[in-house]
Amino acid sequence: MIMGGNNKIIAFCCAESAYRAADRAGRLRIHYPDNVRVIRVPCAGRVSVLHILKAFEKGAAGVLVMGCQEGACRHLTGNIRAKERVKYAEDLLKEVGINGQRVKMVNFGPDMAQRFAREIEEMVEKIKEE
Amino acid sequence: MNKATVVIGGGIAGITSALELANSGFRVYLIEREAAIGGQAASFCCKATEVCTKCSVCLIPRKLKEVATHPQISILTNSTVSEVSGKIGDFKVEVLRKPQYITPERCIACGMCAEVCPTEPKAILPPSPEAIPYCYVIDETRCLRLRGEKCNLCQGICPTTAIAFDLKPERQELSVGAIIVATGFEVFNAREVGSLGYGRYPNVLTGLDLERIFNREGYLKLPTNGKEPKNIAFVQCVGSRDESHGYCSQVCCKYAMRFARLIKHQNPDVQVTIFYIDLQTAGKGFAQFYQECQESIRFIRGVPVEILPTPSSKLEVRFENILAGKVERETFDLVTLSVGIAPRKDSWDLARILGINLADYGFFDTKEPFNSVETNVEGILLAGTCQGPKDIPDSIAHGMAAAERAMEVLEKCQ
Amino acid sequence: MPVKIGIFLCDCGGSLRNIDFPKIRGNLAKLEDIAFVEISHNLCLEEGEKAIASRILREKVNGVVIAACSPELCEDKFIRLLEGLGLNPNLLSLANIREQCSWAHEGDVTEKALELIRMAVNKARLLQAVERGEVPVNKEVLVVGGGFSGMKSALELSQFGIRTTIMERESTLGGKLKELEGFYGLETSPKEMFSSMTRAIEEDKNIEVLTSAEVARVQGEAGDFTVKIRKGGKESSRSFGAIIFATGYRTEILPQDFELKPGVNIISQQKLVEMLQAPERLERRPETIAFVVDFSDENSRLPTLSTLNNALAVKEKLGSEVYVFCKNLKVDSEGAEKLYREARERGVVFLKFEEKPRIHGEDSRVKVEARDVLLGEEVTLLCDLLVAEEKALPPEGTKTLSSMLNLETDTQGFYQDENVHLYPVASGRKGMFFVGACRGNLDLSRALTDISSALVSVYELLSPGGAMVEVEKVKADSQKCRTCLTCIRICPHKAIRLARVDSEKWVAKIYDLACDGCGICTAICPAKAIKFEGYSDEQILAQVEAIGE
Repeated sequence: MIMGGNNKIIAFCCAESAYRAADRAGRLRIHYPDNVRVIRVPCAGRVSVLHILKAFEKGAAGVLVMGCQEGACRHLTGNIRAKERVKYAEDLLKEVGINGQRVKMVNFGPDMAQRFAREIEEMVEKIKEE
Repeated sequence: MNKATVVIGGGIAGITSALELANSGFRVYLIEREAAIGGQAASFCCKATEVCTKCSVCLIPRKLKEVATHPQISILTNSTVSEVSGKIGDFKVEVLRKPQYITPERCIACGMCAEVCPTEPKAILPPSPEAIPYCYVIDETRCLRLRGEKCNLCQGICPTTAIAFDLKPERQELSVGAIIVATGFEVFNAREVGSLGYGRYPNVLTGLDLERIFNREGYLKLPTNGKEPKNIAFVQCVGSRDESHGYCSQVCCKYAMRFARLIKHQNPDVQVTIFYIDLQTAGKGFAQFYQECQESIRFIRGVPVEILPTPSSKLEVRFENILAGKVERETFDLVTLSVGIAPRKDSWDLARILGINLADYGFFDTKEPFNSVETNVEGILLAGTCQGPKDIPDSIAHGMAAAERAMEVLEKCQ
Repeated sequence: MPVKIGIFLCDCGGSLRNIDFPKIRGNLAKLEDIAFVEISHNLCLEEGEKAIASRILREKVNGVVIAACSPELCEDKFIRLLEGLGLNPNLLSLANIREQCSWAHEGDVTEKALELIRMAVNKARLLQAVERGEVPVNKEVLVVGGGFSGMKSALELSQFGIRTTIMERESTLGGKLKELEGFYGLETSPKEMFSSMTRAIEEDKNIEVLTSAEVARVQGEAGDFTVKIRKGGKESSRSFGAIIFATGYRTEILPQDFELKPGVNIISQQKLVEMLQAPERLERRPETIAFVVDFSDENSRLPTLSTLNNALAVKEKLGSEVYVFCKNLKVDSEGAEKLYREARERGVVFLKFEEKPRIHGEDSRVKVEARDVLLGEEVTLLCDLLVAEEKALPPEGTKTLSSMLNLETDTQGFYQDENVHLYPVASGRKGMFFVGACRGNLDLSRALTDISSALVSVYELLSPGGAMVEVEKVKADSQKCRTCLTCIRICPHKAIRLARVDSEKWVAKIYDLACDGCGICTAICPAKAIKFEGYSDEQILAQVEAIGE
């Protein structure tokens, strides 16, 4: 837990793939930790470094940016942009002493319900480690 | 011009046609035999490794969403076409709808009916996660009430009065200008090739089985003991390029390679072998993928003729190794039969009802060669695999083409 | 006007038992700007919609929050409902308390549900109305390429009453039609097809033909493309609503790795076709003709298809012995397997190799040596003519055109990018399409389907209601824009251009019809000058604020 923060994980999910995978997990009653909060975005490329950093500033323990498979983004380059920004955010976080692994880029197909749950669980584990 | 159209079949091609017509101002009745639209491909899985492998399965959810709530499209599930009369611009289509014990228009998928259902296994089933309409379904063979016994539990608890029992099939007549047939395909029944052991040996699967397994579980495990397979074979051209299926199914080589790569991506230690006759590697962006496949997958030009169980519960594949020029045997944990696309057996009924013809191998026939959407009846068009094997992108294109031609012939017939 | 938000909570028939709805209502009602919090059992059904309607009409709200099942299921319905009530649908904010809350976790999820709703409320406080409007669209279409696909596209467009201009850079129409022998199964020969199509085009008042003309520049976006045409050394500008590219393909015979020079005995498919069109002119009938396929390009359908077509033509017109050396026959096209069987029935011999055959001239004949894997033996063939494989390549000028259009090609150089979301014929730029051979579809069947697909998309665009947009949903603030051009460069849909605001300043302008709402520009703008209504930085961060409060 970051000092003064909470245990929440914010997952920015693109509407095409990740958000649908999250819905699918619910429909299959695949359970995952309840400290995740999904924010739906039209494309992972909408997520900027600002959003990621603000999330941590407001006390989030982990941030996931979830978009389509590389090469399958409806907007062609959105998920690549997101990947670059997550990397940049990771480096910035390291500089201020926060484990860079608390932010992660994940690529999905819309049917990957188990994967969604697993990513949440893994991030929760990572947060607990500190 | 009668700007209403019937689209028979709610798979990817039918949905595409419906959307194109609806977006151009046409009223569309989408007739679907099953309880949910989406067809075969809706139950398929994404086959990406670290990158997309272009299987195109992810194109389906968005189209399903658009169709589900489009104001110009009426979805009639559990429905079939029983009679058709008239001609282009003025068809009368009679639709027979099975009793909707749970009315899709009223069901909110709360699941309380299934909770109280007393039978074991339950007679009320939740929808597949991708189903549209997303509503529960009663299994007539298990339901006590429908078998004549007294039970009212689900009806009593349903908060939206969606359940009713004393129902008969409904007939409805639709008046439309054109009809698009998009009834899809069946996979070749691998049981017909007895020597390959499908249905006898649990670790012999088909390509379709693999789609469902990955879609539901996300990874592959041996049906017999739940462990990870270490040595997998794919057999190509099962039900394609033979006497009764004298065509290439177009999808099998690609799906086998994509699965092979996916399996290896999840578990790099697995050895994958693909037995083939002529490897189909043409297509957008596939050349590079094929090159990568050659580095990690074993390709054997050969025809497996028999699959037998071994004492150690593995599978022995006897095949003709064409390069070596002799019959060989190899042992695998799991064998996948890359089954092809076959016409639906009930195409004959529909052809009779519509007055259209079937072609050589049972697919619907077109008016002339190289006109892949028009039938011998003006105003009745074909979309998707019911006309011949195609992959998902080609089915979408074909659905668009059918819509285009429907619009064109309707304009002309005014 | 002060913000007044109406909140609707749906308990899905009372089934979401791990959420304490009255507790949530109690908590929300305490907030200042909340007009009401109503609990319903089935917002998605008629009764629920009536309840929403009557509440909204009764109370003046300028923001609506609905906490229910996934927006995937109910979003479109509620948007239409609000539109019907005269409330701008962009003032709607949704919270997914079913699939992503109640169903996803064990135990009580009231806290999470409340937080999700607070996130939606925070967002709703900042939402602005966005109007819908129709963008004027130029109803004329440009078809670039006057080959089979281009001509067919224009003729089909004309059936819909759409005016088309065909631009062809050669001096005559026809493209490859003038060079092909035939399509087996089709009674009309390419020659007949060519003459009937050109005649139909001449007689068609909807079609204008520009030959010896090239695209010099394309600007603008769907509905209003400005195309600079270069013809006869002069340039002119025309405006079109949509553009279909049907620029075809070219073939290369005997690429370097064949290590042979074309000669009298080693000919191209095209040369064979010429011979077959006038067999009586041949000095001597070739007794043995061999085809080689899969020598340099293992992954193309064209060599197989043209070989099968031409082999059958040879059998019919010359009666020669025909041998085909191939590795993997590409039969994944309509009718291909049938052609293959027919060829075999007519006596065409297929030899499959694994290693490339060795080919050299011997006297006046050609010697082909290969190991036939089916026989398992080395085979030596002396033939009178060897028809070399053709490698299908993107047409000349593709690189120039694609950089002019700012679009990617695939790994083989054909249009379009390999991304499946572009299939079948989209380009990423609305209103611009690629059909047929220029996108790698070298078989007739797929080319025809491509044309119809492009057509239906064009028809939709040009129809009334086809150009409806959310007006200025994504907008660059002209005060903040620094004209750095970043957004213009990175927009994947090429929807942003420079527009003049006054005599000195040019700023980025996002064109609504071309915009696909991804928000990449919004995220990348260094000056934070772009506002994406519904997904603005403030609206996203407001949701983040609500977490962990």
